Amino acid sequence: MNQAIDDHLLRVTDAEARWQREYAEQIGSDRQVVNRSGIAIQPLYTNRDWDSSRHDDAVGFPGQPPYTRGIYATMHRGRTWTQRQLIGLGTPDDFNARLRAVLAQGATAISLIPCNSVFRGFDMDQSHFELLGTCGTVVNSAEHMDRALAGVDLARTSCAMNDPSPFTLLAFLLAVANKRGVDWRSITGTSNQSDYLSHYVANHMFFRLALPGARRVLVDHVDFCMRHVPKWNPMSVVGQHMQQAGATPAEAMALTLSTAIQVAQDCIDRGLDPDAFLPRLTFFFDISLSFFEEIAKFRAGRRIWARIARERLGAKDPRSWRFKFHGQTSGVDLTRQQPLNNIARVTVQAMAGIFGALQSLHTDAYDEALSCPTDFGARIAIATQNILREEAHLTDVIDPLGGSFYVERLTDQMEDEILRVMKIVANAGGMYRAVESGLVPKMIGESARRFQQKVESGEQTVVGVNAYVADEDAGARQALARPDATAMRAHLEAFRAYKSQRSQAQVAAALAALARAANAPGDNVFAKVVEAAEAGCTHGEICETLRRELGFGHVPAFV
Amino acid sequence: MDIRPKVLITKIGFDGHDRGSRIVAAGLRDAGMEVIYTPPWQEIATVVKLATEEDVDVIGISSLATDHLIVPKLLAALRAAGSDDIAVIVGGIVPDEDERSLLDAGVARVFHPGASLAEIARCVRELAAAVRARRTVEQELP
Amino acid sequence: MPAGDRSLLSRLLAGDRRALARAISAVENGTPAAASIATGMSSRLGRAQVVGITGAPGAGKSTLIDALLGELIARGRTIAVVAVDPSSPVSGGALLGDRVRMGEHGAHERVFIRSIASRGHPGGVSKTTAAIVDVLDAAGFEVVIVETVGAGQSEVRIVEIADTRIVVCPPGLGDEVQAIKAGILEIADVLVVSKADAPGADRTARELQDMLRLRSGARAQVPVLATSAARGDGVAALADAIEAHGASAGRGTRLARPPARGRSETPECADDRRTCTRPRLQRLVATDAFARSLGIRLVDGGTGHALIEMTVRSEHLNFNGNCHGGVIFSLADTAFGLASNSHGQVAAGIDAHITYQVAARLDDRLTASAHEVSRSRKLAVYRVDVAGPDGKPISSFTGTVYLTTRPLAQDSED
Repeated sequence: MNQAIDDHLLRVTDAEARWQREYAEQIGSDRQVVNRSGIAIQPLYTNRDWDSSRHDDAVGFPGQPPYTRGIYATMHRGRTWTQRQLIGLGTPDDFNARLRAVLAQGATAISLIPCNSVFRGFDMDQSHFELLGTCGTVVNSAEHMDRALAGVDLARTSCAMNDPSPFTLLAFLLAVANKRGVDWRSITGTSNQSDYLSHYVANHMFFRLALPGARRVLVDHVDFCMRHVPKWNPMSVVGQHMQQAGATPAEAMALTLSTAIQVAQDCIDRGLDPDAFLPRLTFFFDISLSFFEEIAKFRAGRRIWARIARERLGAKDPRSWRFKFHGQTSGVDLTRQQPLNNIARVTVQAMAGIFGALQSLHTDAYDEALSCPTDFGARIAIATQNILREEAHLTDVIDPLGGSFYVERLTDQMEDEILRVMKIVANAGGMYRAVESGLVPKMIGESARRFQQKVESGEQTVVGVNAYVADEDAGARQALARPDATAMRAHLEAFRAYKSQRSQAQVAAALAALARAANAPGDNVFAKVVEAAEAGCTHGEICETLRRELGFGHVPAFV
Repeated sequence: MDIRPKVLITKIGFDGHDRGSRIVAAGLRDAGMEVIYTPPWQEIATVVKLATEEDVDVIGISSLATDHLIVPKLLAALRAAGSDDIAVIVGGIVPDEDERSLLDAGVARVFHPGASLAEIARCVRELAAAVRARRTVEQELP
Repeated sequence: MPAGDRSLLSRLLAGDRRALARAISAVENGTPAAASIATGMSSRLGRAQVVGITGAPGAGKSTLIDALLGELIARGRTIAVVAVDPSSPVSGGALLGDRVRMGEHGAHERVFIRSIASRGHPGGVSKTTAAIVDVLDAAGFEVVIVETVGAGQSEVRIVEIADTRIVVCPPGLGDEVQAIKAGILEIADVLVVSKADAPGADRTARELQDMLRLRSGARAQVPVLATSAARGDGVAALADAIEAHGASAGRGTRLARPPARGRSETPECADDRRTCTRPRLQRLVATDAFARSLGIRLVDGGTGHALIEMTVRSEHLNFNGNCHGGVIFSLADTAFGLASNSHGQVAAGIDAHITYQVAARLDDRLTASAHEVSRSRKLAVYRVDVAGPDGKPISSFTGTVYLTTRPLAQDSED
């Protein structure tokens, strides 16, 4: 987007010339500043960098194209962002206790993080006991989900499940809803991190089916939800993994948008109507400490997505053009040294997300870099959001940085960079092909190495690590949260008992039906996952069946 | 020194975040070492078999999400296989109290976030030299 | 034979995997034990079927090998895999084996996987690879798969080292396919078109078959197979073709090949210049007082090439606080001297020229890599590249030597 070059813009005013002179005289040794996406940053931005003649087509008004200022007319002033904190530790009962505490403190929705063993595709009796419940809640069955959500009104509370393929957690939730007599059509929430492509290129955290199988199961999942759980957001396209793995902010946005195009196209190819599923597509992003860059990234992303949804995917309903996203403050920016400093970091990251007009925010606890957060840390994280909203009044004005010469210019530049990377992916045949061929992991790895070099050389300061290093405040480190071994052992024994008391015939039949569906291209695999959950099958059993039939997705080789 | 250390960089347990382990693997390669890199989620038995077959000098475990809690199991498995001459280092997020017990269990060194590649490479080189010297003295290679 | 070696060999032959791994290391690093190991196992060679798998990067070899391993395991075979990856020409280091580690078959008890670095050998396959294959043969593996990353020279070496040569082609390469096909037709025993479900695969298979039909005799019988490892198609047929070739051609055909392989020689010395030259270069560095005073260390080297390194210390700095040009010259000159004397004859430097591109600083680790540009009976020319941290080019050096017929003094001390 080149600026139109007008006569009046070429002419440097006397005032500006004077500033340039004084700046050069007084600055001493100046340094070239480049942001994480590689864009050069000037010391000052003026109306010659961005002028308001561009207002209507580049900035506009909230709630309408180009959507730069926000996807709703009222934004946070009308409805504040959702304070959605990740919770996950120990047994379902531990989860339930923490959940109630957090809801009482002001969180308005819940996000369940299951134990890493669950992410791995295992049941608790297949896993190293020491690792159970250390970083998430152990939920292996519908019965566990029932206990975890005890006392939660499913019809009124939005539940995000961190639930990669094959989406067993949602299946368990639906089984619980049936048991409680709650209509599926009233259930709201998100299948968080359902984006299988992001699991292939970064953050190899999640159980993965081989690419072709994963691709199909996701579309099955979207199809099922649209028909039966219409208020659920089945598709959460993830940029967070890539940025945490080292992608620059512009790359992360570009790759995420490319994934969204791929998935949307796959759904359209299946015969789904874009105006039916696009309003339910959400994004999930990392928010780094590069304050203005993040704000510009989100504004540019919003603008680009609106165009893509309308022009490329053929969506006609304005609700399909809305770039809805959840932001999480970046754990990678946090340090283990002088951990209380992380509170300051998270505050800045959260502000960037708020000014970037997010819909939902998770703030990390300061002790995230040490281990899984304690209650103490979690409390401060929520308080941070409350302070920003109610003491700093950040919700009083919509898009307060709009019109800033710097922010608008940077938004344009980020858009250019994002489009450049999207073109690379498009030329490689789309995101699926780009992931399969290793192009995307390579791009991310190179950015990760470049950033590491900057930190090692000192070019990028990290307080407490490569600068301002100090002797540690021993008092700042609270006791670490670890699951109670006795409770976990009881949970394991109860699980074993549960497995032996189920109807084995029902379980076997459900798993056989699931296997058959996996081999029948016209069937909906996720529908069978839900039936298996109702029949009492466990997470590990469901994952193992699909793995056997559809193959396991091995991580691409090192690039 | 002329020795070119052979190092295995791997992740056991459940965590899948491998940005750090990839950077360390590439860094050690750039420091002149021969590095075997595996994706995350390796079984302990597989790691022992791999380290034995590849005859590595040092195993580097990357642990970001409490997976370090099963490193003692790895050390025991290496001992049982007769491969406990291999040095084991751990890098990632390890709380102070756990670091002490890892070192007591036989881990040679624990690296925390912020450790430089140069430091890690130096440590690996020293450990590899010690491992090789011990092997030459002890047994098969006169 | 030293007692330690004998026990290593007997343990290896008894199935001890650790002993096997140590023996391979001995052979790989050219230690004195390698010779006795080679002698001790020479009567046990020729039972394994050595399968060489090559093909351009991106041809899908690793996925195919993973699927093939699964198939062979199911057939009850014991399999060893030697995966060769390139060493970095700058640092000498290497990232190994990640391709074969993608799958899970490495964990199977009947599978043994060893990853090795090319260590300066263009194409990666060398006498050392052949020696490692021999150790695995002697250890009793029924199938030994050798796999390399690249194209070109490694394909040629695979010819010498394997009994059954498999070349994997990706579908639909376009014009490059023509060039590749002509070369590989001469060596392949089995041709595989991978990713058979992708567009262009059928056409590539047909083109290969057409070209084969133009050949006569045995070459015309080469099977062209299509595989889709992701779907598992064609892998059983490939395993069948491998077994059929092994049955008809017989085992150990590689052992009967002409002297290029140097079958009768132990891996330690003589024709395998690499393992004989290296000790020579080590001795040269050790007896060069000036190089030692600069802190120069040998990283790698062989016939006609050397890679050395040093770290810039405070006594190496000039009045501008940068590394003195004379130090850089000395580093380059030392690499020059090593490479030119590596053949075993005294080579006298008669001309040298250096250009400096970028300053080197205190604590920089500098490497100097010398290669032979030309060599005639009396003269040889070398080029040396000096690099700083991260491979940044620091300086370029060219030198000419006069080749005398005198052997190196150090050699005659043996």
